[in-house]
Amino acid sequence: MNKPIFELVDQLPTNNLTTKVLGMLDFVAPGQWKNLVGFDNTIRAVTGETDEAFIQQIGERAVQLYNDPSQGYQRAMWLYQTVDTSDRLLASSVLANKVGETIPLLGFIGNITLKSQKAQTIDFASKLIAELLAFCQINGIPGDSIGDFVAALADYSGESLIRIAGLICLDGLIPLGPSFLDQSLSTISGLDGRELQENPTFKSISSLVPGGDSAGQLAFVGESLDSVKGWMGGFVDERSLTRESLLGPLKGFVDFSEDKLDYLAAFLDISTNYYEHTGTQTLARRLIERAVAEI
Amino acid sequence: MLIQIRKSLVVFFSVALLLLTSCAQTSPSRYQAVQQQSSKKGATAVVRQSLKGGEFNSFFPAEQDGYKRVYTQEKKGFAEAKLSKDGKDLAVMAISDTLNMPTAKVKFADSTKKIAGYPAVEQGTSTTALLVGDRYQVKVLSRSPSFTAKDRAAWLEKFKLSELAKLVKK
Repeated sequence: MNKPIFELVDQLPTNNLTTKVLGMLDFVAPGQWKNLVGFDNTIRAVTGETDEAFIQQIGERAVQLYNDPSQGYQRAMWLYQTVDTSDRLLASSVLANKVGETIPLLGFIGNITLKSQKAQTIDFASKLIAELLAFCQINGIPGDSIGDFVAALADYSGESLIRIAGLICLDGLIPLGPSFLDQSLSTISGLDGRELQENPTFKSISSLVPGGDSAGQLAFVGESLDSVKGWMGGFVDERSLTRESLLGPLKGFVDFSEDKLDYLAAFLDISTNYYEHTGTQTLARRLIERAVAEI
Repeated sequence: MLIQIRKSLVVFFSVALLLLTSCAQTSPSRYQAVQQQSSKKGATAVVRQSLKGGEFNSFFPAEQDGYKRVYTQEKKGFAEAKLSKDGKDLAVMAISDTLNMPTAKVKFADSTKKIAGYPAVEQGTSTTALLVGDRYQVKVLSRSPSFTAKDRAAWLEKFKLSELAKLVKK
């Protein structure tokens, strides 16, 4: 366990490239993105309570629950942080003074190592698996209940929905194009277990992935992708989402040319941590919901 | 001599700056004490004897009259469901085992209010709770201004409370 939960939520950024990208995703899921930061702010927003003594009680129970490893919250936080960190090679300090400007992609091409389509696909699948596992750690449904997760996806709202929108747009559509779902399924079905295990993003979270051995984990990834395909496809179709529809909003803060979309996807990977940011917010909400109900 | 004075001044101001900045940074969080207590080896937030959250699900009110119920959490000694209607979230319903948090029972000790015959309290501005069998706390928490205390009491009565009470005897 690293930082206390109240520090993690208190220290969420209010304005950086990650929050700009999340704000950009508003057109994909209108009104869902509100950057709620601060532990006490989250308690007030979730519960509607303002009495400081009551807020203290709620916060204390939430801290107790988070610090009990058996309750799974730290594992969920680790998943959100780890699946994002494995991509993040660009120090936040490099971008710190660029927040108010349009960032020139060309200026960072030297920092970017392009990944193969296969690697991009496994990254997409790994983030989806991380979401599924974190959901089950936070909400307590058994860790391989894909059916419950798919039902819950339909109920996702707020920062959870924005995180899935980010997954579809930034890790799916932009690097892999409109057939990202079919492509992911066919790539995963053509892998052997070793290739999956060797992918850095998957490897970073593999200790928590059900399935037993590498063949079992590969099967779990394939089943998970297959189960969410209908929901994700519906999400894209209902909003007429295309790669092109994303490029205009992205040009609001990254200066790029459209023949450099591979670099754009890779740049967003290494310069943002939308999974960790929104994952922290989702976890805090659920924790506080439980705390206020138990005290 | 001048160099010595300058050196002393540099040291003095460096120490002063260090003290000032360290004072500014060390106002402890209101949660520091609980953080320390709950981080100690062996500290737990739940006890082994508390029921699994899944055991509570069958006691929640059924979906009815256009109200939709979605189970949202199921943890050790805790289960929660969201109540909504026409796509709008109205309330959260929860059952918790006070074996995990005995202090939760204190607020019922002096209560004269009853709902469905069980001791009940209002908590904060948006929560109504009752205690079954001196063990299981059942709560309805408003998540919309339109969901009033009267609504909360009505939905508490829709839980299968007498069935839940039987669990205590097991």
